[in-house]
Amino acid sequence: MKPPFSLILLPTLRCNADCEYCFETRTEDRLSLNRLAIVLQKVIDHMQERQLDTLSIYWQGGEVMTQSPEWFERAHELVQEMATARETRIVHYLQTNLIGYGPKWNPVIAEMFDNSLGTSMDFPNLYRRVKGGTPQQYQELWERKVLAARDAGIKIGVIAIPNAGTVAAGAEAFYSYFVERLGIMDFQVNTPFPGGSSNAVKGTYPLSTDGDGCSQFLLDLADIWEKRGRNAGVRIGPFDKLLAYFEQGTKDVLCIWRENCANEFVCIDPRGHVAQCDCWVSSYPEYRFGNLLDPVSLADLLRTSDAHREFASRPGRLMQTEECLDCNYLAICHGGCPVRAYSVHGSLLRKDPYCDLYRKIFARMEEMSAARCRVKAGSGQC
Amino acid sequence: MLSLKEREDLAYVQILGLSAPVDGLLRWECRTPVDLVVEKPAQELPLLYKYSPLLSDRAVRVSVPLAPGFGKVVKLAIALDFAVKLEGTQPAPSLADELLGVASDYLYRPSVSVPVEFVHSLFLAFYRQEPVSLWSVQEEDPRQVRYITDAGEETIGKRFLNLAPSSDLDEFLPAYRAELIAEGRECRECAFVDSCSGYFKWPARDYRCDTIKTLFQMLVEAASELRNDLAACPPTQTGAT
Repeated sequence: MKPPFSLILLPTLRCNADCEYCFETRTEDRLSLNRLAIVLQKVIDHMQERQLDTLSIYWQGGEVMTQSPEWFERAHELVQEMATARETRIVHYLQTNLIGYGPKWNPVIAEMFDNSLGTSMDFPNLYRRVKGGTPQQYQELWERKVLAARDAGIKIGVIAIPNAGTVAAGAEAFYSYFVERLGIMDFQVNTPFPGGSSNAVKGTYPLSTDGDGCSQFLLDLADIWEKRGRNAGVRIGPFDKLLAYFEQGTKDVLCIWRENCANEFVCIDPRGHVAQCDCWVSSYPEYRFGNLLDPVSLADLLRTSDAHREFASRPGRLMQTEECLDCNYLAICHGGCPVRAYSVHGSLLRKDPYCDLYRKIFARMEEMSAARCRVKAGSGQC
Repeated sequence: MLSLKEREDLAYVQILGLSAPVDGLLRWECRTPVDLVVEKPAQELPLLYKYSPLLSDRAVRVSVPLAPGFGKVVKLAIALDFAVKLEGTQPAPSLADELLGVASDYLYRPSVSVPVEFVHSLFLAFYRQEPVSLWSVQEEDPRQVRYITDAGEETIGKRFLNLAPSSDLDEFLPAYRAELIAEGRECRECAFVDSCSGYFKWPARDYRCDTIKTLFQMLVEAASELRNDLAACPPTQTGAT
């Protein structure tokens, strides 16, 4: 069965927050419904040419909740009409900072997003803030919104970015904050990178992975999750998907470790610009593939774009220039994330700067899988 | 243009060389399996990535000659979940480590989940203690498969293109094996002659099989080890009645 085609759709580049490590270049642009129709028509044309029947739309920003819930209701109607007419299945996902959340959002979240959403918070929160506010104020506001959304029956997943304070606080404090204090059962830890314009915070990226650095924090977190969370239904990305790979062979890993992100998704911003993902489309105009509001199909735009060709050829070229072929974990990494490589090294043709950290995580999850297998074998379940 | 019935009868389609555009294949409605034939391992290695989307709706195999760089192609093909076939050439002694490394990865690396032929079929046969023919595994038993040249002539396989055997194709294998034995080639004393039947003695009959015999022995020992391990494992409790 063919996998879904994924579209990271940015209906706005406005944002109500002012986070110091944001990799996007914000603007006041918003996607009109007319433009949404043009964009979707062309995306579905492209999918049908490749005989793909399911589209996953990841609604992100900017901050999506700076659009109104009424806009989303109309957008949903429009998308459903097009999906029916084109016999295409369309599934929606929402990523929001939740700052603009209120009860008026509940109907559209239930109807369009299957009553679930993704949001973001770090522990400790050093860099997320509302305009003119402090990280502490932001965190308190976010926590109230999380509790309100959960009271409304909304399932919440959280993305967390570690920082120097996270490493200093340790995995136990991190896990306790999210799982035991906030009751978050589904979260993911992403590595930070210095995308977009530079500043003092981004100057500290990539985080050190040596000794007691970020690697040790993640290994400790994996151990805590294995002991306390896994059997209690807590899901932590990337650990859960990596264990599934080592135990069952499923390769449902993060986008940074897929064999070639250029085959799987594109990102489109409110101005119609198409690029590989949100950082590229908003902050690196030289790497945009083109503009879908121009008289061009998505297939032709991808076919003729030098930037897209560069993305598509990246994993293969890394096999010739980096040591990835000698790595035991090639099948679940393929050189890692292009935007992390570019933002750190200034070149797409370098492997992900967190290679060392990834290998440590892969090895720990492989060991964990083997240990569980030995336990099963010992109890006659082999 | 092939009819639907004709397409259903296709075992697979070979793509010779990997540099051609892949867009047409991605739009191809027919689910016929594809055999990607690597001709220049070192140069074509990075091109494997562009074929990986094909795997979502059809079986895809990568056939690679035992030429310098083949081990890297095998490693990447395995990582991308392509089945692999090692093409039947006579590997140079300098490729011994590469060949044995590929076999070791197939046998012992937990992440390998695709067959690497001919290693896979030999290993299974040794494990099950069943007879096996390497010629058959490699689709070069002319009693089962024929290769049609560009000139429309039938032969055994690509490595026979300019070296057509003199005997009738149906008789070739038993006759060739008998000749090797009669000539006193190392096949006469070889423990693996029943599985191999001189497969690696073509085209050069004086080719030294040291690496090949090491490989066969490695597979025999691994098969025995697996049989013993499974015999020692307590029976599973499935709950079935």
